[in-house]
Amino acid sequence: MIQKKVCMVGVFATGKTSLVRRFVHSKFSDQYLSTVGVKIDRKPVRVKEQDVNLLLWDLEGRDGAQDIQTSYLRGSSGVLYVVDGTRRETLVQIAEIHELVSKSIGDVPSAIALNKADLTSAWIINDGDRAELGKRPWHVFETSALTGAGVERAFVWLAEQMGSVAS
Amino acid sequence: MTLEVSGKTHLGRVRTSNEDRYFIGVLHKAMEIVDSNLEVTDAITSFSQLDAYMLMVADGVGGVAGGERASQSAVFSLTTYLARTAACTYDPDVEQEDEFLQRLEEALQRAHDVVRSIGTGSRAPATTLTMALVLGARAYIAHVGDSRAYIYRGGRLRQITRDQTMSAYLQDLGVSHDPRGENKLGNMLASAVGGSTMVPTIGLVDVAPGDSLLLCSDGLTKHVPDDRIAERLQSGKSASGVCDELVNAALAAGGTDNVTVIVARVSQ
Repeated sequence: MIQKKVCMVGVFATGKTSLVRRFVHSKFSDQYLSTVGVKIDRKPVRVKEQDVNLLLWDLEGRDGAQDIQTSYLRGSSGVLYVVDGTRRETLVQIAEIHELVSKSIGDVPSAIALNKADLTSAWIINDGDRAELGKRPWHVFETSALTGAGVERAFVWLAEQMGSVAS
Repeated sequence: MTLEVSGKTHLGRVRTSNEDRYFIGVLHKAMEIVDSNLEVTDAITSFSQLDAYMLMVADGVGGVAGGERASQSAVFSLTTYLARTAACTYDPDVEQEDEFLQRLEEALQRAHDVVRSIGTGSRAPATTLTMALVLGARAYIAHVGDSRAYIYRGGRLRQITRDQTMSAYLQDLGVSHDPRGENKLGNMLASAVGGSTMVPTIGLVDVAPGDSLLLCSDGLTKHVPDDRIAERLQSGKSASGVCDELVNAALAAGGTDNVTVIVARVSQ
């Protein structure tokens, strides 16, 4: 089966581990310990009549782009950037993180998860932010690890994009 | 990157047998250049330096004989499988890394099958298993149960693994539970090698000179809190010295269980 590595990146506590857990195990908890290093999960998906094994690398969230360990990104076929919709700084940092990732592994299929969509009343992301996000080469999904909304769609979309790029 | 590694285990003050097992090994992938008219490059000489350190702690459960057999069998199975398969495949290459991670999962499944073959049922033998395989700057971590792996870096101790106990699972589900009842339910393993359920977790962390890795059974962590563990790691003592201190601290605090520790100091 084809294997594709996907890196989940973003600053700390944006919900990266929760998104993986929702996608892989259909579970949610807000009680996780912070990830140290990388946690790796697998999830087989079927894309365009082909079975693809997604290797999900859930990278430890840090304070900012300068703290992301680029050695973890090596060989990644796709990237899911995770933003906490209730914390503006997580959105501000993502542009810098994107630049670092692009420098490290080039332009690979990318999506951004505006996470915690179950808390939209507390979101601080406005239309201007969305317009800015739209200018960058990624697809934007609103996700909630709590309800599961948008989670599968984001991962499957990435799998489809990676499938159409020669490995 | 080299490691100074040491391990220690102790029966404790209460138990009559030691169901913990630990293992420290080095896998060598070496090429000795006998003669050549090639221009010898770093790419070639690097193969003479590739060592992988294999560190494991297992804490058996399921009665005296059963627990010992479970931890012994699991560590033996994992060690031999990885020595046979991983030694010839590990490589900095990305695809090889994916393959290696797969081998790691296979090795755990194989260990699980081996322990299951000893016996099944409500008192069947089972074991925790926490492993760090350090290759160059990368430590691959495989984990089942409630033994733990920690990294100590820059004065901060961080738990890499998450306990797979009923207590942790209930907490995950947002269910509060009576801490006084922990010994009955909370400390039960929700996932174990040889148990009815095994959900291994795989991860990795890149290490740097100055870091220390600690693997331990719950005989340490039920008696010695993280801040006291950190103090010992901060002391600058040798890996062996820190192992002695940690085991002694667990014994001084009651030593109600077998206690096992492995400490690895990372240097250039």
